[in-house]
Amino acid sequence: MTKIFIIALLINNVVLMRFLALCSYVGMTSDVGQSVGMGFAVTFVTVLATAATWPLYNFVLLPLGLGFLQILVFILVIASLVQLVEFYLKKNVPGLYAAMGIYLPLITTNCAILAVTFENISNGYSFIESIVYAVGVSLGYLLAMVLLAGVRIRIKNSPVPKFLKGTPILFAATSLIAIAFMGFSGLVK
Amino acid sequence: MKRLWKIFKAGIIYENPLLMLMIGLCSALAVTTNVSNGVGMGLAMTFVMLFSEVIISLFRKVIPNSARMPIFIIVIAAFTTIIDLVMKAYFPELSKSMGVFIPLIVVNCIIMGRVEAFASKEKVLDCVADSLGMGLGYTWVLVGIAAFRELLGNGTLAGLQVMPASFEPILFFILPPGGFLVFALFISLNIWLKGRMQKASAKAEAKAEEVAA
Amino acid sequence: MMKDIVKLGLILAAFAAAACVGLAFVNQATEAQIAVNAEKQLNESLSGLFPEAEKFVDATAELKIADPAVALEAAYLAERGGAPLGVAVKAKGQSYGGPTTVLVGVALDRRIAGVRILDGKDTPGLGANAMNPTFFVDKSKKTTFPGQFSGKALSDPFEVKNDVVAITASTITSKAITKMIKASADAASARLEAFAAAPAEAAPGGK
Repeated sequence: MTKIFIIALLINNVVLMRFLALCSYVGMTSDVGQSVGMGFAVTFVTVLATAATWPLYNFVLLPLGLGFLQILVFILVIASLVQLVEFYLKKNVPGLYAAMGIYLPLITTNCAILAVTFENISNGYSFIESIVYAVGVSLGYLLAMVLLAGVRIRIKNSPVPKFLKGTPILFAATSLIAIAFMGFSGLVK
Repeated sequence: MKRLWKIFKAGIIYENPLLMLMIGLCSALAVTTNVSNGVGMGLAMTFVMLFSEVIISLFRKVIPNSARMPIFIIVIAAFTTIIDLVMKAYFPELSKSMGVFIPLIVVNCIIMGRVEAFASKEKVLDCVADSLGMGLGYTWVLVGIAAFRELLGNGTLAGLQVMPASFEPILFFILPPGGFLVFALFISLNIWLKGRMQKASAKAEAKAEEVAA
Repeated sequence: MMKDIVKLGLILAAFAAAACVGLAFVNQATEAQIAVNAEKQLNESLSGLFPEAEKFVDATAELKIADPAVALEAAYLAERGGAPLGVAVKAKGQSYGGPTTVLVGVALDRRIAGVRILDGKDTPGLGANAMNPTFFVDKSKKTTFPGQFSGKALSDPFEVKNDVVAITASTITSKAITKMIKASADAASARLEAFAAAPAEAAPGGK
């Protein structure tokens, strides 16, 4: 199980190796605090989503031969969970709610979350393995977000060549971070 | 007719979803390791977007504002499932090759975004133009990046050997860091193209004013 | 107020119902073809491994894979004229990006008749090249990753970077698949032992 976790967190990092969750990666890394908040929000939703969708698929959809409804059901579950998180934050942590603004409902469209719920099924993970995978992937997301936020602070004060100004430099920087992450593949036999 | 053409054109360069609007990136880069995947993804996504925009536009007067997100999701998810099943049945190799990225079309920000910003407010024909334009804009970028990465990283294009046998493929381009770098270059290219087109149309306008004056 | 919520709920339910019905339709229409595709791939692979075989008899109950990380999905006895040609084992194990399914054929002489990778979830361009028929680990001889196992003796070490060529930049995948192939081949070999031990099982009049 540690193997699942390490591969998800570092070796097969969801953003840097698998290109998922890029929209929020580009949009929410202008501030380190924002990245951390987003990372934890995503972790929370992903774990909850896993806990909800895994039994739903294995104990309801599959036995009833409704496997083809997987996409529909999973995304609706995630959307509902994000709504719930929104309500909760609005009431109890209004500061964070205001800071996250439009990016909170956008968690629904975070590819990484849906991908995790799907892969728990297609990889044949048990419930516990699914939770471990979910935590590994989301912490990997958090890691990538924080790294880029840090790099962006530096970029602001550095001379960027004209043709890379704006978003291109962000992706060029990400390319370099990804190269570094490739070094992790030696962690697992 | 001219209006439809304008809407269609917008999605290709000026408002290219991937390079300009920066949405729908998720699935885009991962499927660009070879051209077949790029084309497959582009077409699948265009299919889902076209039908989703059309249905939502058809029912736009009926969909209540407060429940619009769940309904959008239901419609998009339905068409995503349809294309997923159709691909599994009639294009099994491509379906396996693209794996989880077909189901991920449902959270493609482009579709969600256009449906919310455009389809829920505009007429059906306009939506057809919009979805086709955006779909084409998405597909050309995907195929462009994929061609670049596959050619240099594998020496092939859609599986067919193009480079001479002596060509030593540059593995970097197939690997994730290469994907990010190629994407950065494409964005840069598009910004430059947009700049030139704007200059050209500004010049044309100035000339037209001169003539009129 | 209440009326609005009910109206909202009904419209939502209507859309959901329409979606489910539509999907059920499409599912029905494509189910058969999807099942056919899977079977076709299996049959083509089996024939590819044992081209002279006339039929494949299900022998799943007669095999056991020793490695707990590799799951036996099915096993087939390749037969011609009632006499066995070899055993094909379909097994599933975890690779880098997810589960991979391999089909390994072992001939009577304890050499691998061939390997087919039926399904995998590795990265396209990297680990997924194990399934790519145009990707060669040996460019001069045009050998694919699974192709290098054809004719291999089971007594070989089956070690990546030793007697097995890895896919560049996909060592984890290469090692995982090699392990699966070895485990499946060993199980097939054990079954073939049973043939040698009981020659009376051969069809009457046959060899």
